[in-house]
Amino acid sequence: MAVRDALPAPLPTSGLSVIARRIARLPFAVSLATLWLALMVVVALGADLLLPYSITAFDLKARLSPPLFFGGTFAHPLGTDELGRDVLSRLIMSIRMSLLIALFGTLIAATLGTLLGILAAHFRRFVETLILMAIDFQASMPFMIIALSVLAFFGNSLPLFIGLMGFHSWERYARITRGLTLAANEQGYASAVRQLGAGPGRIYGRHVLPNIASTLIVSMTLTFPEIILLESGLSFLGLGVQPPLTSLGNMVGYGREYITRAPWIMLAPATVIVLTTLSISLLGDWVRDKLDPTLR
Amino acid sequence: MLLFTASRALRAALTILFVMTFAFVVLRLSGDPALLIMSVDAPPEAIKAFREAWGLERPIWEQYLSYIGHAFTGDFGKSMRDGRPAIDLVMERVPATLAITLPALALKVGLGIPAGVYAALHRNSFADRMTMAVSVAGFTMPSFVLALLLVLLFSVNLGWLPASGADSPTYAILPIITLGASGAAIMARFTRSAMLEVLGQPYIRAASAKGVEWRRVISHHALPNAAIPTVTIIGFMIGSLVAGAVVVESVFAWPGIGRLLVSAVANRDLAVVQAILMVIATWMVLANFTVDMAYGWLDPRVRGTAAAH
Amino acid sequence: MSMTLLEATGLRRHYQVRAGRGPFGAKAVLRAVDGVSLSLKPGRTLGLVGESGCGKSTTGKLVLGFIPPTAGTVRYRGTDMPPAGTPAWRALRPRMQMVYQDPLGALDRRLPVGVQIMEPLAIHGAKSPAEQRDRAAGVMAAVGLQMHQFDRYPHELSGGQRQRVVLARALMTEPDLLVCDEPISALDVSIQAQVVNLLLDLQDQMGIAYLFISHDLKVVRQVSHEVAVMYLGRIVEQGEAEDLFARPLHPYTRALVSAIPVLGPRRERLLLQGDPPNPVDVPSGCSFHTRCPFATAACRAETPALRTLPDGRQVACHRVEEPALQVAA
Repeated sequence: MAVRDALPAPLPTSGLSVIARRIARLPFAVSLATLWLALMVVVALGADLLLPYSITAFDLKARLSPPLFFGGTFAHPLGTDELGRDVLSRLIMSIRMSLLIALFGTLIAATLGTLLGILAAHFRRFVETLILMAIDFQASMPFMIIALSVLAFFGNSLPLFIGLMGFHSWERYARITRGLTLAANEQGYASAVRQLGAGPGRIYGRHVLPNIASTLIVSMTLTFPEIILLESGLSFLGLGVQPPLTSLGNMVGYGREYITRAPWIMLAPATVIVLTTLSISLLGDWVRDKLDPTLR
Repeated sequence: MLLFTASRALRAALTILFVMTFAFVVLRLSGDPALLIMSVDAPPEAIKAFREAWGLERPIWEQYLSYIGHAFTGDFGKSMRDGRPAIDLVMERVPATLAITLPALALKVGLGIPAGVYAALHRNSFADRMTMAVSVAGFTMPSFVLALLLVLLFSVNLGWLPASGADSPTYAILPIITLGASGAAIMARFTRSAMLEVLGQPYIRAASAKGVEWRRVISHHALPNAAIPTVTIIGFMIGSLVAGAVVVESVFAWPGIGRLLVSAVANRDLAVVQAILMVIATWMVLANFTVDMAYGWLDPRVRGTAAAH
Repeated sequence: MSMTLLEATGLRRHYQVRAGRGPFGAKAVLRAVDGVSLSLKPGRTLGLVGESGCGKSTTGKLVLGFIPPTAGTVRYRGTDMPPAGTPAWRALRPRMQMVYQDPLGALDRRLPVGVQIMEPLAIHGAKSPAEQRDRAAGVMAAVGLQMHQFDRYPHELSGGQRQRVVLARALMTEPDLLVCDEPISALDVSIQAQVVNLLLDLQDQMGIAYLFISHDLKVVRQVSHEVAVMYLGRIVEQGEAEDLFARPLHPYTRALVSAIPVLGPRRERLLLQGDPPNPVDVPSGCSFHTRCPFATAACRAETPALRTLPDGRQVACHRVEEPALQVAA
C-alpha cells in the first residue's frame, strides 16, 4: 500500500562471501533490527531454558518490586507484579506465545490465501467470482471487527484464536497469487508447461509456486507484524489469549491496572511489541526493496 | 455517470448483504441461536416465543430470508443484559464515538497531509527524515501502547488530563490525540509517497521545463493529482473510524460503540454484537461508496476505466 | 486421405467483449477466428501469414486443442481433438508441440534448462532419469546446444540459445507436429537464419510437420510448402508456396507480396489504404473491401467464399477471375 521508490535490484547471487559483504553493507538500522529479531527468536526457542522463575511462581516478599536500575534487585531484573511474579519470566513466555501465534497465523493466512488464489486462477468462472467476492468482503470490513464477532459467537480457545489470526490478510495472498498465476497461465512458462501435457499438480507445485514464492515471502513480512499487533490488541482487551497463558498484549492489559504504582509491568511488554514490529517492518522494507522492486 | 453510480450502489448493497449472510452463517454454525441470544437460563416460554418470532422451525432458506428481513428493519433482538432492543443500545452510543473520532479525523488530515507534502517537497532533508521516522513509529506502535504512554505522561506524571471516563470535554483530549496521532503518521507517509510519485511524472517536468513557476506547478499540477490517491486513504480512514475506536475507547473507558462491542463480546451478548456489526458494515460501505463517487468526480478517467473492465 | 496428419474444419473462435460502457453496456462479439479450415500432411509445412491481430496465433492454439473452438472441429490422425486439460488431451501432447515467439517467457526462470528439456519425458513417464538425460543430450546436440549448457538458467543464455532450448524441449517426445508461433521474430536478425535452417534440417531428419505462423513473408516463403494468408479471422488465399508468391491473386496477398523488399528493378507496388478494421466491427461483405483498390458494390454486400480455381489455388475474392484485375496487377 505504501508507494515506495522502487529501485531495480540485481538478482541475488549465492555464495558466502557475497552474503558476508552484503551484511557489511547493511544499513545501521537494519542491522539493529536483525539483531533484535535474532534475540527474540532465541528467546522464543529457548524460553524453557532461559526462564528464571515459573510464570506462576509467587514471591510474596517481593511484590511490585521495581526493575534493576530503579531500585530493584538482581533477583528480579525487570521487577515483579502485584502477586510477586517475575516480570522477566512472564515476558519471556509472552514473547514465545506472541511470536508463535503470529508465526502460525502468518503461515495459515499465506497457505489459505495462496490456495484460494490458485483455485480462482485455475477454475475461473464461478469459483473465481466467489473467491473475488470473499476477497472484497474481507477487504471492506476491518478485520478487528470480524475477529471480535467471531470471538463473540464461538467463544475463545487457543486453537480457535490462532485459526482466527490465520484469517487475517489471507486476501492479500489470494490477490497476489491469483494475479501472478493468471499471468503465467495466459502466456508464459505455466502455459508452456501445460502445453507439454503437465497436470495441475506439476504446473502449480513445480513451476508457479516456486516462481511466486519470493513475492509471497515478502508479503509475510507485512502480515507478521500486523498479526502481532492484532493479537496483542485483542489480548489487551481480554478477548485474546486467556490466563493462565500469557502474551505480550495480555501483559500490557494486566499492567494497565498498575500503571500508577508499577508502570514497568506494562512498559516491558509494550517495549517488546514496539521494537519487534518496528524491526520486522524495517527489515521487511529493506528486503522488499532489494528482492522485489515490483511489489509495493 | 449514472451507470457508474448505479453499479457502485449495487456493489455497496451486495457487501451489506454479504455481511448479513456472514452473521447468519456464523450464528448458525455456533449453535442454537435461541439459546445463544436469549441465554441459557431464559424461561422456556420465552425461548419458544423467540423461536416462533424468528421462525426457527421453518426451512433454512426461509429462516435466512426472515433474518435478512429483520436485519433490514434494524431488528436484531434484545440485549440479554438489560432487555432493551440491541439497535437502540448501539445507536445511543454513536454520538459519543463520533465525538472523539471526528476530531481525530480532522487531526489526521490536518496534520498528516501538510507534513507529507512538506516532506515530499523537501525530500531527504532533516524534516523529511524526522517525518518518516515519526511515521514509522506511528505505523508500528499499537494504539493501546500509545494510549497508555500518554496516560502515563499526562495523567500519572503531570496530572494535567483525566485518564478515563467521560465527565467533561477534557476527557476527550487523550482519546482524540491517540486516535489522531497514528492516523496522521499513516496519512503523512501516504501523502509523501503520492506526492513523490506525481513529482516524478513527465508532465510535472514538462510544466517546469516550459517555465511555469514552481509554486504554480505544485499548486496546479502536483497537488490535484496527488489528491486522488490521498482521497482513497481518507475514505478508508472514515470507513474504519468506528472500528479503530474499539481499543482506544476501551483504554479510556469512553462510552462509545467500541467499548460497547468489547463488553458485548466479553459477555457474548450476540444481539448487540450483530447490531454493531451491521452498523459498522453500513458505515464502511457508505464511506466506500462516497469515496468512489468523489474519485469519479476527481478523476474523470476512472469512470471510463471502471466501465471498460 | 488417410495420409492427413491434421485436419481442421470450419474453426471459429469468438470472444464476448464489452463494447459499451458500464456493466450493462452493449456486448459485442470479437471474431478472432471465423471459419478457418486447413489440413497438414506429415513432414510438410503450412505457412500462416497475415497482419498482427488477424487470428494467426489463435488458429495455432485452436489447432493444438489448447483453447476450445466456438465452432468447428480439429482432427488429429482422423480422431477428434479431446477437450483441453483432459487426460486424453494430455496424452496427445507428446505428438504435438509448440514453439513460442518469446522463449524467455516460455521457460521457467527458476529451473536449469536441462531439467526443463527433460520435463516432457518426466511428465509422460516411462523413462528412467538416466534415459531422460541421454535423450536430452541427443536432442540438445541436434538443436546445436552444448552439454555444458545443461545446468544453465534461461537468463544466462542468449535469445537464440533459449529458442533452441524451447525447440529441444518440444522435440524430446519426437512429435509429428510443431506449431511455430512467430518462432524467430523476437530473435536478432543474425540468429534468425540459423534457427530457420535448424528447423529445416530437423524436418528433413525427423519428418515433422510444421504449422509455421509468421508475419515475415520472406521466411514463410523459405520454409513453407504451402501458404495460407489470413485476414480478419479468415483465410483469403491459399496455395503452393512458390506459386503463391510468384503469382498472388487476392488483392490482399498481392499487397503483402509487393511489400517484400527485393533487389533489382523497382516493381509496381500495391499499397494498402488505411489500417485493418476493428475486428469487433468487421466490415460487411468482403471484409477486405474497405482497403481494396478493386472493391465494387458487390464486394460490400456479399462475402466471397474460398473457392478452388482450376489450377488448385484457393481464393476468396469476387473479382479474381476478371481480366480487368489481371491487367491492373
